[in-house]
Amino acid sequence: MNASRIHGIVLSGVGGQGVLSLAQILLEALRRSGLHALQSEIHGMSQRGGSVHAQVCFSEAALTSPILDEGGADLLIALEPLEALRYVSMLRMDGHLVVSEEPQMDMAGYPPLDDVYAALKAVRGAHLVDTEDLARRLNHRQAGGMALLGMASRFLPIEDGVWREVIAQRFEAKGARVTEKNLEAFEAGRGLIHDPVGA
Amino acid sequence: MVQSTLALGVEAVGCAAFDAGIKGAFGYPGTPSTEGFEAVELLIHGAQDGRVAQWAANEKVAYDLALGMSYSGHRTLVTMKHVGLNVAMDAYANSALTGVRGGLVLLVADDPGMHSSQNEQDSRRLAEFAWLPCLEPSTVQECYDLTFRAFELSEALQVPVMLRIVTRLAHCRAALARRKTQAPTGLGPVPEAAVQDWVLIPANARRRYVDLLDKQPRLMAEATPLNRLIPGTIRRGVALAGMGRAYFGQLLHENPALSALSRLEIAAYPVDPALEQAFLAQVDEVVVFEEDYPVLEERLGLRGTAQIRGRLDGALPRTGELSPRLLKDALGVEAPVGKAASSLELPIRAPRFCDGCGHVDAYEALKEALVQVGAPETRVFGDIGCYTLAAQEPMAAIHAVVEMGASISMAVGAALAGQNPSVAVIGDSTFGHSGLPALLTAVDSGVNVTVIILDNRVVGMTGQQPSQALDQVERMVRGMGIPDDQLQVLLPVPKQHDANVAAVTAALRHAGPSVVVFRRECIQSIRRGVLKDHDRQERERCTTEVCS
Repeated sequence: MNASRIHGIVLSGVGGQGVLSLAQILLEALRRSGLHALQSEIHGMSQRGGSVHAQVCFSEAALTSPILDEGGADLLIALEPLEALRYVSMLRMDGHLVVSEEPQMDMAGYPPLDDVYAALKAVRGAHLVDTEDLARRLNHRQAGGMALLGMASRFLPIEDGVWREVIAQRFEAKGARVTEKNLEAFEAGRGLIHDPVGA
Repeated sequence: MVQSTLALGVEAVGCAAFDAGIKGAFGYPGTPSTEGFEAVELLIHGAQDGRVAQWAANEKVAYDLALGMSYSGHRTLVTMKHVGLNVAMDAYANSALTGVRGGLVLLVADDPGMHSSQNEQDSRRLAEFAWLPCLEPSTVQECYDLTFRAFELSEALQVPVMLRIVTRLAHCRAALARRKTQAPTGLGPVPEAAVQDWVLIPANARRRYVDLLDKQPRLMAEATPLNRLIPGTIRRGVALAGMGRAYFGQLLHENPALSALSRLEIAAYPVDPALEQAFLAQVDEVVVFEEDYPVLEERLGLRGTAQIRGRLDGALPRTGELSPRLLKDALGVEAPVGKAASSLELPIRAPRFCDGCGHVDAYEALKEALVQVGAPETRVFGDIGCYTLAAQEPMAAIHAVVEMGASISMAVGAALAGQNPSVAVIGDSTFGHSGLPALLTAVDSGVNVTVIILDNRVVGMTGQQPSQALDQVERMVRGMGIPDDQLQVLLPVPKQHDANVAAVTAALRHAGPSVVVFRRECIQSIRRGVLKDHDRQERERCTTEVCS
């Protein structure tokens, strides 16, 4: 990490997928890692099945702007492939993209899926994951978000123990089993990225 | 500093109000202000020390509740979104003349860029209009610290103080350091000698208006320590407020060369003209970064001594939010180049009704009933809530949405102009907010207006807050003078579609005012169990008492 530089993460998806929840886990993990961090989100009508996105900025120095520029993000975490494409231009040239292949197609004019996948694969630094298949294998319907976070963790200066702590705390109220399943999904995602460049 | 936690900017305001010892918080939900009330509500419910958090039927009611609490000598917070202040404007403007006793802080959340609002009006103008102070934070910590300051100022100056934030700050989450919580302490009610100050008959109001104007130099003097003039080394400068201040601060950190610019940093209004003049004496050219209206830009421009750049001369767009990119472009700072955007055309994913939402069934019944009466082209007057989504294609079931409660009066106005049938669609909470007086007038007019009340039992769009109209809608409708035979309560489910079409058709054909209530709880509210306790208590009450 470059101490004077602001690092940025964009999260995107569809209302109800848990974009804001992932952003909050990230924010807490960054904070516990001793970094200055800000998160920006938009509530309101966007929650009703529309596009949702959040941004997280972090730095070793104090921050005041919660908003990233185009070309200012190191990482894009997308819970839906079309929603990933909307934010590709937010990424730095050397930025990475972790994205679920699982489409939410209940909208007018969704482009042909193959075109969407092709466009994503054309982005250097893109890592696609079949979250539907992963969820089936882990017997955990909601595994996708945590798996993406696990993938993202390979590019972030956060130690394993901090991730486990924050995730455990997040799901504490829902019981030990839910916590275990989410940690399992996180680890599964983490295992999908080998030898990350620029981490 | 006793604890550090993560909080949204708007939540930091609520936390500060609690820690500053308010006795009560009042508000009406509205994005992006809602979580401010909810944060203080959570703390108050947890403390169980006799404080209150009460949603009100509308923003004016909320403001008057706060004013009454202040009159009785206690600190109080009242929260609303920018357009909510229009509803509370009568109370707000006149409370400047009465003054306050216990500190009264008004949290107003503006929405530049109109993320979830019908306009981007600037509340700073309304503070100026009412001759009242306004504090404007730029970070989450400042939201907290300036709220504390606002309570102190309110009691020192004996006026209400506005705390103005915008969407980006309201919904920015960051670490927050809180101070020790103060217990609510009462100052006692307005003293005998000052009672006449609170009676705004003309003789008193004339005197109090002069008092208010006489107070203005003190307001400026109290604002000045929160504003800063930082000299630069060249004859160029920037004037900064709110997010403009936050974005520039970040930019400066990344580009230390920008410290050559003189800076006028504004966090409190009214701004002392002497400070503006001192700033302008150092510069020949200024770029102004502020959210919404060109408030500072116009003021600085009036002095005529420097070239003022911003929203008025095209250096920045006339409308919409500021962004770091806009600052860079206006200052000629190089912006980063990122990856190429996808060449694939990406259609907008618009928000839509939740799967299984009762509003959809209600609208389908209405649309078919309008066909039945031979008026499928009827322009339907809508209102503000989730059900506003019906204005979009393909449903296109409502054709005018203006402000809270407008649907009924507009439908009556159109009926008086000859439209027949004339239809209003309004939610239960919006009906309680400002639909009630409109229905009273509708009954008095006697015209054929059909009012469809979509009763989902909560304030759906802002996060299923309790609706003040809960379980009261029929009584309210009858109370406004709608006869029993012109009030129907229907269940909006697919199975009931034909019966619902017949019922709405009958209402449309009736020559006078009629009301159709479609009642089914918001499915998000059911999922979260928002009304579970309420409904269980009601059932228990009904086994022991005679229920209506």
